[in-house]
Amino acid sequence: MLPQFSYVRPETLKDTVKHLNVPGAAAHAGGTDLIGCLRDGIMQVNKVVSLNALPDLHGIRETADGGLLIGAMTTITEVSESPLVRRKYPGLAQGASEVAGPQLRNQGTIGGNLCQKPRCWYYRGEFNCLRKGGDNCYALDGEHLFHAIFGHDRICVITHPSDTAPPLVALGAKVRIIGPEGKRTIPVANLHVSPADNVRAETVRKQGEVITHIELPRPPENLRSSYRKVRARRSWDFALAGVALALEMDGDRVNKSRVVLSGAAPVPWRSQPVENAISNRRLNAETIEKAARAVVEGADPLPGNMYKLDLFKGLIEEELYTVSRELR
Amino acid sequence: MAEDGTIYYTNGLPVPDTPAPGEEPEFWKETDVVGKRTPRVDAYERVSGTAVYPSDIKLPNMIYGAILRCPHAHAKVKKVDAGRAEKMPGVRALITGDSPEAGGLKWKYRGYSGPLFDAHCRFEGEVVAAVAADTPYQAWDAVHAIDVEYDVLPHVVDHNLALTGKAPEVHDQGNLAGTDEYERGDVAGGFAEADVVLEQNYETGCQLHTPMELHGCVADWEGDRLTIWESSQGVYAVQSVLSGILGMPLSKVRVIGHYMGGGFGSKLWPGKYTVLAALMAKQAARPVKMILTREETFLCVGNRPPNTMRLKAGVKKDGTLTAFDFECIGPSGAYPGGGTEIVDWLVRDLYQCDNVRCLSRDVYIHAGTARPFRAPGHPQGSWALEQMMDDLAEKIGMDPIELRLKNIPSISQGRGIPYTRTGLKDCIERGAERFGWKDAVKRAREQNRSGSHIKRGVGMGACLWIVGGGGPPSTVVIKLFRDGSVNLNMGASDIGTGTKTIMAMVAAEELGVKPDVIQIEHADTGTTQYATPSGGSKTVPTEAPTVRNAAIDVKRQIIQMAAEDLGAPAVDLDYEGSEIVSMKDKSKRIQVTDVSGLKKRGVVIGVGYRGPNPKNKSVNPFAAQFCELEVNTKTGEMKILRFLGAHDSGRVMNRLTYDNQVFGGIVMGIGFGMTEFRQLDANQTGKLCNRNWHDYKLPTALDVPVDMESLPIEIDDPEANNTGAKGLGEPVTIPTASAIANALYMATGIRFTKAPVHPMEMRRRLSAGKEG
Repeated sequence: MLPQFSYVRPETLKDTVKHLNVPGAAAHAGGTDLIGCLRDGIMQVNKVVSLNALPDLHGIRETADGGLLIGAMTTITEVSESPLVRRKYPGLAQGASEVAGPQLRNQGTIGGNLCQKPRCWYYRGEFNCLRKGGDNCYALDGEHLFHAIFGHDRICVITHPSDTAPPLVALGAKVRIIGPEGKRTIPVANLHVSPADNVRAETVRKQGEVITHIELPRPPENLRSSYRKVRARRSWDFALAGVALALEMDGDRVNKSRVVLSGAAPVPWRSQPVENAISNRRLNAETIEKAARAVVEGADPLPGNMYKLDLFKGLIEEELYTVSRELR
Repeated sequence: MAEDGTIYYTNGLPVPDTPAPGEEPEFWKETDVVGKRTPRVDAYERVSGTAVYPSDIKLPNMIYGAILRCPHAHAKVKKVDAGRAEKMPGVRALITGDSPEAGGLKWKYRGYSGPLFDAHCRFEGEVVAAVAADTPYQAWDAVHAIDVEYDVLPHVVDHNLALTGKAPEVHDQGNLAGTDEYERGDVAGGFAEADVVLEQNYETGCQLHTPMELHGCVADWEGDRLTIWESSQGVYAVQSVLSGILGMPLSKVRVIGHYMGGGFGSKLWPGKYTVLAALMAKQAARPVKMILTREETFLCVGNRPPNTMRLKAGVKKDGTLTAFDFECIGPSGAYPGGGTEIVDWLVRDLYQCDNVRCLSRDVYIHAGTARPFRAPGHPQGSWALEQMMDDLAEKIGMDPIELRLKNIPSISQGRGIPYTRTGLKDCIERGAERFGWKDAVKRAREQNRSGSHIKRGVGMGACLWIVGGGGPPSTVVIKLFRDGSVNLNMGASDIGTGTKTIMAMVAAEELGVKPDVIQIEHADTGTTQYATPSGGSKTVPTEAPTVRNAAIDVKRQIIQMAAEDLGAPAVDLDYEGSEIVSMKDKSKRIQVTDVSGLKKRGVVIGVGYRGPNPKNKSVNPFAAQFCELEVNTKTGEMKILRFLGAHDSGRVMNRLTYDNQVFGGIVMGIGFGMTEFRQLDANQTGKLCNRNWHDYKLPTALDVPVDMESLPIEIDDPEANNTGAKGLGEPVTIPTASAIANALYMATGIRFTKAPVHPMEMRRRLSAGKEG
């Protein structure tokens, strides 16, 4: 059952920020995550601020420099089906199409997808875990089949649930944020917060702040982007392991690369070891083997999720072989 | 009332002969309505939303119930303070263990009786208090305002630890709920004469009940008469439990369950929630609606218990099975619920083997109590037996299908009596042929030699289901109205399987009327006849012969009346559907609707009873299922490419719903084999981790193959009953997971002894190698 809350539907960003700038206020975009959070009582919300009446937060348009501007209220379906996104950033379109199931993609928004709460079953359940204000992470010593192998510092072992954040990070996207202190624009790569920095927050948004747009830079020449996701079932499931690739190719050579993992860490996880293994190299069997070994460098798996090591290796191998086959 | 009598009749189709009074009807040789692909009689109502399920019931002045449940796996309630909750807005009833209404009320499990409110909470989800208020929100706010002091106690939720002596005791007498031992022949001798002896441990996960419609009811009092609308598999079972607990005569408890959204065994009985709704409806003098939340149902409406099994088997080089030695442990949960019940039945009965020993130990743990779950025990036993059969076949260099065909028993060895018919051989043989077994094996082996990391496998499993013949008691009433239309009145529930449609088809076949002429009244203890709950794959073989008998009773009465009208002896008259005709003199004929006895009375009432089953014979359905799949050996992802179910369930009654049962059973079997498992926080709190449809993973449409085929193996079984139908709803889910496991073995060379095999387990085993 939902708790009691007030509901407002402001028509200007200014009013929106004002409404959000009090403790216990929560932004409502698609609501696919928020309503569940309220129902499960995992956060104290007494005011729901709808973003639905705001103009200009909706839609995808090309910018003057050849990049894209995506309104935060654009649905995941719109992102995955947009011809512009598909042409310029297939990796983002693939990421969006891998989100949840069709109904949730129709309702959920790209802004909301970046601001999701974690799906850890202790966090969502009746456990007073560290992230909810309690004293310990239950998953660390408990059941962590689906949990993180990187970046958790044995503090909180959630994985970040977004399938759009990894491709956005790989593509060098930025988010525009508006808040009580005005506007700011930050890279998506800096949006999410690791447990070591703050275990009670998922993003750097401060009270009253809301994401308005996502900016994608003009795609470089010979950009090859993709997103591949492995999950326990084929629909309506979060990533066990996923990888977003943004490779700048020169023939069979990788000039520059950005490799971002999902299902790996409490934040979208940029894998510099893989990038180092493939950048400025020909994408041959030797490179791919090195990259596969590199993907688990620095991993800190738990007893129940050791399988993720070979899963990430296999995933990187398969994805890079797919790229190398395309080159032939 | 229709003026044109012909619109009701299947004119031109023959109507079965009417047996003389006292004679049994003959087995149908051919049928004209039964067996055809017939859409459900209530399809439009179900799809359009006009069908009223218990969840849809809305009565004047109705209020809403909510239950406070123990949040701990094991705790004692020290104090319940409902003072704050009682004063909250909208609250009209509140009940706790201290309430006078609850005093002395007992809740029964199998052979166990305890207080309705037991201060000793032995599982997460045990009832502590309940509230009814004007809105569901008010009820839940009040539930959250009840203060409870618990003494939290140590728990055991792992059934493998329950008997180690280190685990806390769930009940005073210890954690052993029961032991079942079985032995035939000389097991040691059997192993001594074997050429190959194999032994393997197996494990299956706990599958939670989560039918589409939530568990719940609406309770309403009129004076001293209680009416309950319950989402149930059997209204008479609900009536019986309620009347027992509340000390009321059966006649004063009316239970209605016209539509319900799935049960699978979890709705064979009511729950404590039903009693609480009735008690609070009395307190508040208003109807109370009590529909559980999805989270609650994951905790307290039952499960297919997880099982840990060991199977040792001996075989001769020629494929003769010499011995089985089977051991099994599994949890009933907090109370007796059948933790290992009939897990061993397939080992006892499926394949010819003279020397068999089985030992099952059912244990208590601090978790929700098990309930029957579509083919209780069988998918688990099949997981062990069918994988072992494949291993034995490999060791002696025999095709797995040949080994099974070599061991088709002629009698039910577990009972020591013959089957009326066994289709086991035909299911395996014809299924394999239709599936293209040999080509599929060849294709898989070729792909696996090609060096691709996508490996392919085919696998199969066979089964029988322990019951499925139905049987007495059942009573059905058929009313033939003076316009020729028909009312069929039976107590049985249609739990989504298409029972109503099949019964309309049976009555139509026998009376020569169109199925849509038949109006069905069912599942109401106030107005329909006694029936046992729909479960055990017994509804069609129980009710269909009863419907047939009721229709014959109608025909006999009409013939008797027509004899007076026509001045001909009843034995000379033939019931031809729309007309009664003299066999000697075809000019002597009368429309059924012109029969003066019918016109005068307005209705003729036929009563049918379910006759006995054949003496000293066993009626069982048989099956074999075949599967082809692919494994991505880099990521552990699996894709089932196709499935075939070859099922001998006697006569196919409605090909449309028959095929749907087969597909649905395979889907559920894929869940059992690949996606579903209850995750308890065993080492910390004992609480349930996955209590929603995201974390508890049912297979989605993308997890099941588009290419599913149903191949009915129709074998006349006149001894089973006068329709020849046997049960289908449960065998369809028994060998699915084991067929998958055998296919996974062909694809990877790894024996997956632990179910479910999800990508995490697949990836783990690919890394750990064959021994992992």
